[in-house]
Amino acid sequence: MPARPVGTHGKRPVNGNPAMNGITLYAQLISTDNWHGAIPSHVGRTGILTANTENLRQLLAQCSLGNRRAFETLYRSVAPSLHSVALRCMGRRDLAEEVVQESFVRIWHNASRYEAHLSAPLTWMINITRNLAIDQLRKHRELPLSDLQQNAVADDTPGADEQLDSARSSRALNHCLEQLDGMQRQTITIAYFHGFSASELATQLAAPLGTVKSSIRRGMERLRRCLES
Amino acid sequence: MNYQTAERRRALAGDYAIGLMPPTARKRFEQLLLDDPHLRAELAQWDTHLASLADPLSAQPVPEHVWQAIVSRIEPQKLHVPARRPFWTWLRTGAVICSLLIAVTVGLLYTRDNVQYKATLLSGTEQPGLRIEAHTDYLQVQPLQLAALDAGRSLELWAIPVDGKPVSLGLIPTGGDGMIGLSKSQQQLLGPHVVLAVSLEPKGGSTTGQPSGPVLYQGPLAAL
Repeated sequence: MPARPVGTHGKRPVNGNPAMNGITLYAQLISTDNWHGAIPSHVGRTGILTANTENLRQLLAQCSLGNRRAFETLYRSVAPSLHSVALRCMGRRDLAEEVVQESFVRIWHNASRYEAHLSAPLTWMINITRNLAIDQLRKHRELPLSDLQQNAVADDTPGADEQLDSARSSRALNHCLEQLDGMQRQTITIAYFHGFSASELATQLAAPLGTVKSSIRRGMERLRRCLES
Repeated sequence: MNYQTAERRRALAGDYAIGLMPPTARKRFEQLLLDDPHLRAELAQWDTHLASLADPLSAQPVPEHVWQAIVSRIEPQKLHVPARRPFWTWLRTGAVICSLLIAVTVGLLYTRDNVQYKATLLSGTEQPGLRIEAHTDYLQVQPLQLAALDAGRSLELWAIPVDGKPVSLGLIPTGGDGMIGLSKSQQQLLGPHVVLAVSLEPKGGSTTGQPSGPVLYQGPLAAL
């Protein structure tokens, strides 16, 4: 796949620097996916993964049997979480809402394919949303990244209720992410939420393709080992 | 690609999960996933860890119209019926009412205008000379085989009741083709058993109130 520059024709350059090169773009990408900026504000509030897994599992099972009421209950409980994922990916509310809509149509039709022994229901649904969002982003790739950033939900304000477990899990994640170096965090996050291919990332970061790939792989291994420990 | 060693499988599943695989390798990997539950488990491990990247996000309320759109997608038979458009509904109703009105009016007119009696008037040699249709308030005259008429003569039509004197119904139009209007009293005369007759009269009709010339054609009125 040819690497397409992203953000090079941004209408609103984030750094106020119209002559963007690889370095300013790197700074731009960091500003989008800055864990240090994002995580501390989230500590101590409900993370979207803290859902009643057993409950969701039953609802999904009911959906696979065609139970519309169960589907609505499922929607009411997880739509806000999937919406936050879609927003994180798309950076625009209208596009994110389309992704949420598409996600639930797919969840309804594919509920029977969920393999409960493999992953948590929410993980499965988040992946559906993320994959649909990435498909859309690849179609919309001509949109300058800075536009997406403008509308991105950078202003996630902490939720009202706080939950100890989530605080702990966020701390654990925060701790594990801190084990990664800056490039590992950036590349993993951008690939995960925005579906950039390794070659697109290499272009953006003005780094050799091999370096980007091994950075992602090493970072993922490190993250996984840390979360499993 | 070698999918056999555990490390290799884990690495490939990781590449797939984060999206590092080029499209062709991706498709191949998806084929392998179908028949390999262990590979699916390996991928699920990665998905679970990577999903924790989404945990710090805060839940975002979803506008109600999204749910409505989802419902309409999964229940197409119920909600894909196009919404009624008031204008067209109104227009259709209006059209139906108009056609009903027209039908009723035409029906009434047709009933009013119905031919009630008919008569074929024959000459002395039993040749049909005229056909007459009696409508409610006029007679329709149609020539069949009418004798040529001198310029100074007229043909006059008479109604002859069963037990009475002939009553003039008026002159046959020139050429024999046309309508003769009927007054109320003339209308009341017409009925079964009444005989119609045509006499040859001076121009303008009989001056005596009774046929003054020879009867050329005659025939009974028949009810339909």
